[in-house]
Amino acid sequence: MPDARMKRLWPATLLGALAVLLTVVLIGFRDAPEGGSAAQVADADSDAESQYQPIQFPHDAHAGQFTIPCQYCHFSAERSVDAGIPPMATCMGCHTEGRVEGRTDEARAEIAKVREYNAAGTPIPWKRIYKVVDHVKFPHMRHVAAGVTCQTCHGEVQEMGVLEEMAPEAGDLRMGWCVSCHIERGASRDCTVCHY
Amino acid sequence: MSDGIKRRDFLKVVGVGGAGATVAGCSTGDVERLIPYVVPPEEITPGVATWYASTCGECASGCGIRVRTREGRAVMIEGNPDHPVSRGGLCSRGVSALQGLYNPDRVATPLRASGDGFEAITWDEALALLAERLGAGGRSLFLTGRKGSTEAALLNDFVEAVGGDRVIHDPLDDPALRRAVEIAFGVAALPRYDIAAADLLVSFGADFLETWLSPVRFAADFAEMRSVDHGEKGRFVFVGPRLSLTGQNADEWIPARAGSEAHVALALAGELVRRGGDAGPYSEMVSRYTLEDAAREAGIEAEALLALADRFAEGSALALGPGFAGHHGGATAANLAVLILNAAAGSLGRTLHIDEVPEAEASSYGAMANAITAMNGGAYGVAVVSGTNPAYSLPPVSGFRDAFEAIPFKVAFATTLDETAVLADLVLPDAHPLESWGDSDATPGTYAVRQPVMRPLPMYDSRPMTDVLLEMARTLGHEGFEAATFHEHLRAANAAWVEEFGADMGITGDPDALWREQLRNGWSSYEVELPQVTALQAPATAVDFGPPALRGEGDFTLFVHPSPRFGDGTHSNRPWLQELPDPVSKVMWQSWVEMNPATAERLGLRTGHMVNVATEHGTVELRVWAYPGIREDTLAIAMGGGHTDYGQFANGNGVNPMALLPVAVDGTSGTLALVSTRATIDATGAWRRLATTEGSSDQDDRNVAPAVALSALGHAAAAESHDAHGQVRELNEAGGFQRVETEGRAEDFPLPGSDFGEYGEDHPRWAMAIDLDKCNGCGACVTACQAENNIPWVGENQALMGREMHWLRLERYYETVDASHSGPLDIRFLPMLCQHCNNAPCEPVCPVFAAYHTPDGLNAQAYNRCVGTRYCANNCPYKVRVFNWYRYTSENIPEPMNWQFNPDVTVRDNGVMEKCTFCVQRIREAGNRAALEGREVGDGEVRPACGTVCPSRAITFGNIKDHESRVAELSHDERSYRVLDAFINTQPAVHYLKKVTHHDVDDGGH
Repeated sequence: MPDARMKRLWPATLLGALAVLLTVVLIGFRDAPEGGSAAQVADADSDAESQYQPIQFPHDAHAGQFTIPCQYCHFSAERSVDAGIPPMATCMGCHTEGRVEGRTDEARAEIAKVREYNAAGTPIPWKRIYKVVDHVKFPHMRHVAAGVTCQTCHGEVQEMGVLEEMAPEAGDLRMGWCVSCHIERGASRDCTVCHY
Repeated sequence: MSDGIKRRDFLKVVGVGGAGATVAGCSTGDVERLIPYVVPPEEITPGVATWYASTCGECASGCGIRVRTREGRAVMIEGNPDHPVSRGGLCSRGVSALQGLYNPDRVATPLRASGDGFEAITWDEALALLAERLGAGGRSLFLTGRKGSTEAALLNDFVEAVGGDRVIHDPLDDPALRRAVEIAFGVAALPRYDIAAADLLVSFGADFLETWLSPVRFAADFAEMRSVDHGEKGRFVFVGPRLSLTGQNADEWIPARAGSEAHVALALAGELVRRGGDAGPYSEMVSRYTLEDAAREAGIEAEALLALADRFAEGSALALGPGFAGHHGGATAANLAVLILNAAAGSLGRTLHIDEVPEAEASSYGAMANAITAMNGGAYGVAVVSGTNPAYSLPPVSGFRDAFEAIPFKVAFATTLDETAVLADLVLPDAHPLESWGDSDATPGTYAVRQPVMRPLPMYDSRPMTDVLLEMARTLGHEGFEAATFHEHLRAANAAWVEEFGADMGITGDPDALWREQLRNGWSSYEVELPQVTALQAPATAVDFGPPALRGEGDFTLFVHPSPRFGDGTHSNRPWLQELPDPVSKVMWQSWVEMNPATAERLGLRTGHMVNVATEHGTVELRVWAYPGIREDTLAIAMGGGHTDYGQFANGNGVNPMALLPVAVDGTSGTLALVSTRATIDATGAWRRLATTEGSSDQDDRNVAPAVALSALGHAAAAESHDAHGQVRELNEAGGFQRVETEGRAEDFPLPGSDFGEYGEDHPRWAMAIDLDKCNGCGACVTACQAENNIPWVGENQALMGREMHWLRLERYYETVDASHSGPLDIRFLPMLCQHCNNAPCEPVCPVFAAYHTPDGLNAQAYNRCVGTRYCANNCPYKVRVFNWYRYTSENIPEPMNWQFNPDVTVRDNGVMEKCTFCVQRIREAGNRAALEGREVGDGEVRPACGTVCPSRAITFGNIKDHESRVAELSHDERSYRVLDAFINTQPAVHYLKKVTHHDVDDGGH
């Protein structure tokens, strides 16, 4: 009898496994952005507003046009696992009333929003673009110290008006992509370098 | 499986599914928010831990702690290595302070009694109500635990200002000892013991390694006293009816009957006096006691006492106790007898110091009994409770509950509700010690501040009691409470103290700089020469040294003792401690009654049988645990179980043995007797499984935890050869087992020619050494490991199925335990964790390469590769791999306990195998730091969590390839061995150092 039961059980298990596989693949596709924010707005998140940054922060103006070093704002990248999100105080260092006001109406409107947040004492709830999953540890300081440029992982940020994640579907930011760089540079590719 | 899919194919399918799940690679598609600081706190760098030195607030010992915080949250507590009290150690209760801080049962807002329950009110309403009732006239009663010095002073001032009485209730205090010191030496203080200086240590039942006075400090001293680091080894003799954890560490056990301590101690003192010792005014009295009489009364052999008396004469000795085991009708007399013995042995001024400084924060049941009478007489209009829970920790027959309920207005300052706080009319949410200021002067010459390590948790609107008292005093118009907060008060008090005494005590410099230094170190020292008492004085009144009377009927003496995990029950609402196997019984979540196996057999009982233990005052039903370390005429039950109103982790687990006790008091000191009644046993006929981690208390012939006799040290290695082991030889001859051609030293790996891929050979080889001669089995390492590595608890039901998740457990093996005779005692402890074998059996059986070896010698587990076949666990000879059967981390751990998660360690979900990683996150962190600074990781720089709390400092970690390292040195010690290595050639990286015994060791014929 156990044999008969096994015969019934295995196809069922196989079907179950396939169903799981299908779901996972579907979720995977759903997550893959199709060329920009339009696809992201269609994301399951019901709060469509949340898909946009609360302030249209132009990385191209700051890092490109004015060549402000990345670490001026992302202050802990060279000494911490976290790169650091600039506190409001850093924004206000340049954007206090009477200093940098912005040259276009759009820019002035956005800077006004920064001042509003600051006056209210509330932080800006930035939408997070880059996040490694929880079982991956990415120590920024080791990569900075090894001379890996920010652009290697984050793209040509200094040219982006709207920050977009490097395309995961093209293979960027996946483990194989990490490992290929580790091999190229002779860095350790032991699992516990990133996974623990 | 003839018709279809094979296991391997099935795994492939699942494997592809796993790949699908990680399609987003190293990034995720979820929308998350990044919340920056408005103004960045200067001491915080995101992703970098900030450490605060502080003082543990979990009991009155005042151990030094270092708290690791990440982004403003406390995530780990370690011992402060330089602290004069705890010297780098910490106990499980101290580590579990994190679960007190993040406890989901904390009181969120002020509460006012309303109908059968409470209603939430605002702080303004609560304070107005409190001011109105305190100002309304009528005396107030303040029931508190023992407090730090400045807090106690503030409290006393407040009590005086509002017109009230303060009663200190702390079941872990030892008023009998304090009273005995007062009788013997004229000063009401606890003695200072120098255990490390003793060659012979005799405990008359005092549990100094677990609950008595200052266990962490004593554990460090004890390890120093008995370790063979300096070629000598002290001897420890335990006298008492039950082996506590402390007793299990003894070299010799004299199983004297409960209540016979005084007689035994006096007889020993008498013998010493006859041999020329001096017991001052007691000399004549003690010489009337003979060893024969004492032995008869204690139910032991006179020869054992004679031998002990001989040992007293050999070197510097120290007698301790009798602690809680001596809390009976003659508690003061028993303590006095031990002090007299110390004097006769010449310990005074050598190992026992009496400072002429009376202790302010002294509790006694006598004061509580008077308060109960006064409460019943309507003497109090208001009662204030803080840091004590008498409705739980006093016997119900004391009448506390009724008397307390009769008080018109009761206020409780509490972090969580407990059995006393639920009776209150007003509950004020108190701040946790990790969130508030305090101080401690636990040892002369040391002052330690307790500083908050994080902001108060936002979901709980708590305020420190001290702040509330200051505000209340100002509201009521009392003078002398000017400081706005207790922080200011503390600083002012400190500055005033420095101003007044600083010059005499060698304290110089800018007060602000001194304060900052104090906060940085966690403590500061000053010069003090306290006057010492050096001689016994004659007693003012006659002391009765007769045996204490036991009440009731029954064949057994009942001994109710504080729990090593929960103390008096204060720490019961913490799942880490509930699931920490009791150091003695290895039981989790449940209560049990300890009974000698011979007794159990006589009654037809086995471990797990349900029995009713009954006295004149009550009955409790609980499981039997047959324990060879208890006299046949004694039953023992630990405190801490059976809470009814404490919280979700404590309520309903186990029984509260206080229900069995009468109110019996040692009249001289007002000590509540814990050994006061006889008890009967009735089997209910039921049998229920004990939730225990004890697989076997017998090593069989495996010799997992071998020992070496002190006399054999120096030539131990030659005397024993693992290769000569019979079973191994047999296997070799049968061709089933071949050793690899290496000496098998950990630093030899990877072996030349072995395939290690593209890895270089310039890696460290991480290894650990554990000195079993120092380990006392306390289990602090287990809790520290759990805190550091996000290890969930599984609860009683899962624990019953053996699914506990600990990465580290303490094995306890009985070698020689005999309650019927005095003689050598040999109980061995073995902390068992992943051995990080060079030749690991778990690795080749993993079908997905999740268990593998890293180039720096770790046996790693890649969680995101693991598919949960559990083959590795099946193939692990050390049983150190644990499996997430359910979503323990997400489903068992409620908000805000998950705030404690260590962000450096992956939180594992169901279906994943896990085990000790040697705290790889700490290794990587140290590696990152060293790389940035362009240097190698130094020896001692990486300390796994277990090693950062060990009170005995038994755990050493480091790179064994570095021949200068401490761990390399220990691995070549003659006592060094590796568990099961000789049998199965696993080549572990964990080196154990054998326990050293005073008696000859029978090695099982190997």
